[in-house]
Amino acid sequence: MTRLSQATPELLRPHGPRCNQSRYNKTRRQFLKLLVAGAGSAAASRLDAPPAFAQGGPLKVGVLTIRAGVAAPVGAAGLRATEWWAERVNKAGGILGRPVQLVVEEESNPKDTVERYRKLVLQDQVEVVLGGISTGVTLALGPVAEDLGTPWLSWDGTTQKGVEETMPHPKWAFKSVDNEVEAIVAGILTPKYFKGIKTVAGIGNDYSYGHDCWESYQAVLKRYIPDVKFVLELFPKLGVTDFTSHIAAIQQSKADLLMCSFWSGDATIIMKQAAAVGLFKTMKGVFTTAGGVHDSLKKEFTPEGLLLGYNTMYFDDPKASPLLKQFVREYKAKYNEYPPYECDHAFFNAESYKVAVEKAAGPAKKWPEKAQVVKALEGLEIESLSGKRSWREDHVQMCNFYQGITTHKNAYDFVTISPIEVVSTKRAMKPAGSKLFEWIAGWKV
Amino acid sequence: MQKIFNLACGSFYALGAYVGVSAVGWYVSAGGPPALFIVPLALAGLAVGAVGVLVERGLLRFVYDRDETFQLLMTFAIVLMMEDAIRLTWGTAPRSTAGLYLAYGRVEILGAVAPVYNLIVMAASLVIALAIGWLLTRTAFGRIIRATADNREMAEALGVDMRRVYARVFTLGTALGTLGGALVIPTTAAMSEMGIELIVEAFAVVVIGGLGSMRGALVGALVVGVLRAIAISVYPELEMLLIYLIVIAVLVARPRGLFGGAAA
Repeated sequence: MTRLSQATPELLRPHGPRCNQSRYNKTRRQFLKLLVAGAGSAAASRLDAPPAFAQGGPLKVGVLTIRAGVAAPVGAAGLRATEWWAERVNKAGGILGRPVQLVVEEESNPKDTVERYRKLVLQDQVEVVLGGISTGVTLALGPVAEDLGTPWLSWDGTTQKGVEETMPHPKWAFKSVDNEVEAIVAGILTPKYFKGIKTVAGIGNDYSYGHDCWESYQAVLKRYIPDVKFVLELFPKLGVTDFTSHIAAIQQSKADLLMCSFWSGDATIIMKQAAAVGLFKTMKGVFTTAGGVHDSLKKEFTPEGLLLGYNTMYFDDPKASPLLKQFVREYKAKYNEYPPYECDHAFFNAESYKVAVEKAAGPAKKWPEKAQVVKALEGLEIESLSGKRSWREDHVQMCNFYQGITTHKNAYDFVTISPIEVVSTKRAMKPAGSKLFEWIAGWKV
Repeated sequence: MQKIFNLACGSFYALGAYVGVSAVGWYVSAGGPPALFIVPLALAGLAVGAVGVLVERGLLRFVYDRDETFQLLMTFAIVLMMEDAIRLTWGTAPRSTAGLYLAYGRVEILGAVAPVYNLIVMAASLVIALAIGWLLTRTAFGRIIRATADNREMAEALGVDMRRVYARVFTLGTALGTLGGALVIPTTAAMSEMGIELIVEAFAVVVIGGLGSMRGALVGALVVGVLRAIAISVYPELEMLLIYLIVIAVLVARPRGLFGGAAA
């Protein structure tokens, strides 16, 4: 509700010396005068919104998440982690004494999501917006966030066009890790675990993420194995449920290794259909992102010995912090699932905002201006679910990526990884301002 | 027969898939032998086809005499509502029947390995196709269906109760869709959008085969399936292009489809 609509009924109410008569006795002219005066003062109060009001009331935090379609499980995980964070913060007395109130809106197509973003900032008057998963959407959100002057911290979306950054010096927008990092990590780890690879086939979704991952993986692998040949590339649409023809083509290619960047239900499906024809009896497999649907990768059809990526958080990390252990325990108890990586992105965003507010508030604990919060976020390092994570000076997330070799030796009915490889974005993400392929070409391997 | 362009057929397929996953889950947790999982799967798939009566009597009958645009909008609304209903009931995460796909093992045919379950589904499809063929050509009900498809007013004038025939035919069609979804689910995973994916392909199949033709649907499905497989093996970029080139060619050269003329 806007302050204008809150203020107007108050102005119409008869009270005080000038309004000592019943409202029903007012003339039409008086009524209109009051209405105009009321609207004017309400608009004025909106323009110079005093921080004093903000200090007292609940802290509205906007959340953009996907709750429908193929990315809904990812969106649900991010929202659950944000809710967990909010409960935790509120139990501890809120942020500078203000209880957190989440205002959740749907992320769908770029146009509608931009409208909802505007609604969050202008109508709901949130102090910060968290969330954004699809880069197709967040590319459009970036410039809007800059215009509206409210901090926006993206869970998983970037402002990359392909593999290149479109907003190198943002003021209000804070972006996720570069999209291609998990493919780069997999490219670094492939020669370590799979010796003698000469031919590689690739399959990914037919949109920017699938193509960019494949290009980046090839560029990295070429650095380690210069004579490697890429014999097949397949890009089925997102949402396909039958890969039997694709698997037949992969078999026909006789590649030594299959690289797959599927991240949703299609990862489970291709694993199942590949197992049915024994694909991984003769071929190595690299699944850069399938850890996002890790508990659907059942042991019956997911073999040991594949390289599997969990993005930035591995729920079963033996070196997990007490925070991660508590989160996994409570998440499992509440949803009967084990949490995927999006929880870590979402928790990091929310917690880093809290820490930045407290840092910017200083010893006086005065609620800071939004610009002061942004300043405090730059370079900030905090304890997230997966361990230490930080914001680079150019507003890009810095963290660790978890990948490893699938194993059946665990207490679950799905695969986990052992050994676990932890690769930092300092090693696997292009530095601020650099071009991806030039950067990879300059590696000393 | 009902002269309705039913976009909701994909939703029935998705519903059958989800009900199949749940039925198999209950069956396995109740200690049923894995080798017989196909029985509860098929029964659940058939049973949920009863939703067809509700859709036909509750919604579709109101648009039979309306413009085709209304019918399209109505069935598209059903698609969206079913997608949300599935999401509310089963959640957003993909659901699958774990490892039952390989419960019957694998066989090697002409040097290629194939799961036995795939052969069972192919055999089941053939049996269902033959059964429908028999129903349409050899039974009194089949003759009534064909007569109604050919000339509804004449059939009605001869005493055919349209209300019952439409309800039965639509429910039968729905049950075939839900059974298809249930039978396919061990090979894949159920996702709430899987229906929409199927609708697009199904329309390519019926346009090639001919609207309203059983034989056409069978041949259209084979054409689309085999061409997709060949395209993916030979030139993957052409996968969708090739199918729609054929759709366009059929629409231009033979607008009623390969078998549409005789049966439509």
